[in-house]
Amino acid sequence: MAAVAVATRGTAPPSLSRRLHEWGLALAVVGAAIGFFVGYALGSLAIGDGDNSLGSNAGILLGYSLSAVGFLAGMGFFNYPIARLLGRPVPTADDEAYLHGEGGGLARYFRLTTDHKVIGMQYVVAILAFLFVGGLGAMFIRTELLTPTPTTATAESYLTLVGLHSTLMIFMASAAIIGPFGNYFVPIMIGARNMAFPRLEALTFWLLPPAGLILLSTVFLGGFTTGWTGYAPLADQNVLGMDSYLIAFSLIGLSIMLSGLNMIVTVITLRAPGMRFTRLPIFVWGVFLTSFLGLLAAPALLGAIAMETFDRTYLATLFVPAGGGSPYLWENLFWFFGHPEVYIFILPAFGLIMEMLPVFTRRPLWGYRVAIGGLVGVTVLSFMVWQHHLFVSGLAPALRPFYMFSTEAISVPTGLIYLVALGSLWRARTRFSTPMLFIGAFLFNFLIGGFTGVFLSDVPSDFTLHGGYFVQAHFHYTIMGAEVFALMAGLVYYLPKMTGRTMDTRLTRFQFWAVFLSFNGTFLSLLSVGILGMPRRVISYAQYLQPLNVSATVFAYLLGGSMLLFLGILIWNVVIRPVPAKENPWESLGVEWHLPTPTPVYNFDTVPTKWSLPYEYDTGRVAADVGHPAPALGGATP
Amino acid sequence: MTERRRRYIRMYALVWFVLAVAGDIGLALGPTPPFQASDLASSQSTVIKILAVIAWPVFSAVVATIAFTLFGNRVAPHEGDIDPGKLRGDSRPQIAWISASIVIVLSLAVYGTVALASDQPGAGISTTSASLRQPASPSDPLEVQVIAQQWWFTYRYPTYGGVETPQLVIPVGQKIQFHVTSLDVVHSFWFYALGVKADAVPLNDNVFTVTPTQTGTYRVQCSELCGLWHGNMNADDAMVVSSSDFAAWIQQQQAMDAPILKYLPAYSHTYEPNPPAYGT
Ligand SMILES: [Cu+2]
Ligand SMILES: [Cu+2]
Repeated sequence: MAAVAVATRGTAPPSLSRRLHEWGLALAVVGAAIGFFVGYALGSLAIGDGDNSLGSNAGILLGYSLSAVGFLAGMGFFNYPIARLLGRPVPTADDEAYLHGEGGGLARYFRLTTDHKVIGMQYVVAILAFLFVGGLGAMFIRTELLTPTPTTATAESYLTLVGLHSTLMIFMASAAIIGPFGNYFVPIMIGARNMAFPRLEALTFWLLPPAGLILLSTVFLGGFTTGWTGYAPLADQNVLGMDSYLIAFSLIGLSIMLSGLNMIVTVITLRAPGMRFTRLPIFVWGVFLTSFLGLLAAPALLGAIAMETFDRTYLATLFVPAGGGSPYLWENLFWFFGHPEVYIFILPAFGLIMEMLPVFTRRPLWGYRVAIGGLVGVTVLSFMVWQHHLFVSGLAPALRPFYMFSTEAISVPTGLIYLVALGSLWRARTRFSTPMLFIGAFLFNFLIGGFTGVFLSDVPSDFTLHGGYFVQAHFHYTIMGAEVFALMAGLVYYLPKMTGRTMDTRLTRFQFWAVFLSFNGTFLSLLSVGILGMPRRVISYAQYLQPLNVSATVFAYLLGGSMLLFLGILIWNVVIRPVPAKENPWESLGVEWHLPTPTPVYNFDTVPTKWSLPYEYDTGRVAADVGHPAPALGGATP
Repeated sequence: MTERRRRYIRMYALVWFVLAVAGDIGLALGPTPPFQASDLASSQSTVIKILAVIAWPVFSAVVATIAFTLFGNRVAPHEGDIDPGKLRGDSRPQIAWISASIVIVLSLAVYGTVALASDQPGAGISTTSASLRQPASPSDPLEVQVIAQQWWFTYRYPTYGGVETPQLVIPVGQKIQFHVTSLDVVHSFWFYALGVKADAVPLNDNVFTVTPTQTGTYRVQCSELCGLWHGNMNADDAMVVSSSDFAAWIQQQQAMDAPILKYLPAYSHTYEPNPPAYGT
């Protein structure tokens, strides 16, 4: 356990509560175990049905829920609210500083810490871990699909792989940009010294490890056969492994919702004096608008999951037609969450890409207000399109033209993002630094994702493409090709600030070309098998589709290898053999780059009051004067 | 703008134009999935073709512009070519871009709606039984119930006394009305060659009308994840045959099923036995 380095502040020996706090992660594991067994015993004894050889469904549901509660209790999340309820004195400034991780060294990364920068780093690790495990799942899936009939997997293990890969990647994508970069940089960019609800922010992160582990534990409970969409009544039919999906996804839903709430309040209330909404960096706009999506969409998922647990535990038959329920209920609730969810993935990535563009074009962001308009348009429209997932469901055929129109209409605000990108690049002397390569690939990949989306939004062509690999490749273009490429761009760009270390330029540039080409090889093959009639999530497929599937698998191995290479470069250059980074290596005018590295614990000694947009490369004006000598501009970096 | 920059713009525009025209010719003349085995498949194929022909030049234009802005400026880095930052959002390109994308979106939506209306493929939920009759002329649709369950499809011909078969056989040139339903979870009936895809939802009748135009043996498969053997819920034996072959085949099926059929009403939509109640 790395969390034992003792942190003290002042002269007094550490109190008992601080000792417990330092051992939080160990206590959390113990708490989770106790919670699970208590919940399992209660559930099985009190309301268990007892006719399942694997144990009781109610016991597992209660066990998982209480294990999550036990985990959070061990981390120390309930100390503060309980102390308030008992009327204990409010924490002193010293206590708050301790909780914030001041002087905590490396250990603060392994315990409940309220510093948004620590939480951002925790997210980096968690996101990469999810990406790694989910990617392994993809490799197994592609291996199985080398042949048209089952070879390496059984029908059961294959569907569990599909479920784990997809659900883990959805968890990853929900926070891939907003988690690491939103948490780390939004408070700095708006001139705040912390988030509005720092404990809540820590909670949104610490919900992730239990969610991931509970989801993975499905392999001990028979797995689940529904994929990430959890369609009922198939979910009603599933064995206990389904409960892992339900509880894990509800923890993620909770995290998305609370993170949204926290970001909204932070951006509205904690902006520095002089930081108007018209001066917010475009990345902050992206995160801010995404937060509304999270806050408003996740409750639909949480409600649907609660209903599904009622179905599975009390035979409530909410989704079972023979009992008076309807599968359409799940489909609607799920996609009412599910479609805004895909914009929860991509909006922060749009923001991040537009935030980085001016740094490499050395020009102001072209059309800042157009960019905001585009982001707002996507946000509003994204709540009005979910029925496009139900075009072949037989539900409300009369409404299909409306949802076809609303879905196609989203391409107008999305097009504005491209207009801004092109306007920014037009007549610029772009610096081809490594993040810029990933930005270019992002624009290309998302363009394919968007254009393939047009074919899916059109009802007649959707009749043939729906539910097939065309859809699968389409959303991999948007999630992997765009969002994960934005994540890689962001890591290469921001790691020098976050860690003071930098990734090897030549290796990363080689990795870029490998990942870009293998990604497109994989998913162009899969777009093709989709057009030719291959359904999603099948272990067997028609013989004539084998050559394209082999091509997809070979490219997928290269893609997996190049993703691994990225992880390898990152770990090698940042952790094992640290390569110190230059201060402000990209010569950005953003305020985050003009604070000392590492960023001071409370960001600003004195909060700046004069702010401008961080894109004034024609005048060279820094977004805010932070009193830290700016490194001289001039002399491009590769 | 220098002469050199103008030359580069012309070069990129030319490359784009050649690519766009060549691509569009290929897309327009080449075969487009899901091909031509039914009226529905042909119209879907046309829709996909038209969308692709519209999309390709736009897509390649954006890619060419990205490429030009990235590389064109790089190879012609004269000071006069580089705008240091006066361009903060000129309103003319914005208006042009927004109007163009709105026009494209509106025409796509109108075209899609018209194509959808002329196909009339899905009638959606209907639990009331329509008037039942044996098809007298090719303009009367032949009803075929598709009953999905884990993990196969059963086909029922209500107008032929409720004959049930594990194999789908339909006559060419005859309007077929699929009534898709399920006995357990959500499935989706996908007859790729005919351009038919309809979710099978318990207690729901999802109607899809199609006229096959080419005889042949085709694949039908489930396209909604429905549990363990979803990947094997397919068959390569669905047949579109001539109407005389169909008449012979259905008579043979009726003869085989005669001992059961005599207990059933002559024409009925109702599938017996009813789906089992939940939990029993
Ligand atoms: Cu959607
Ligand atoms: Cu099925």
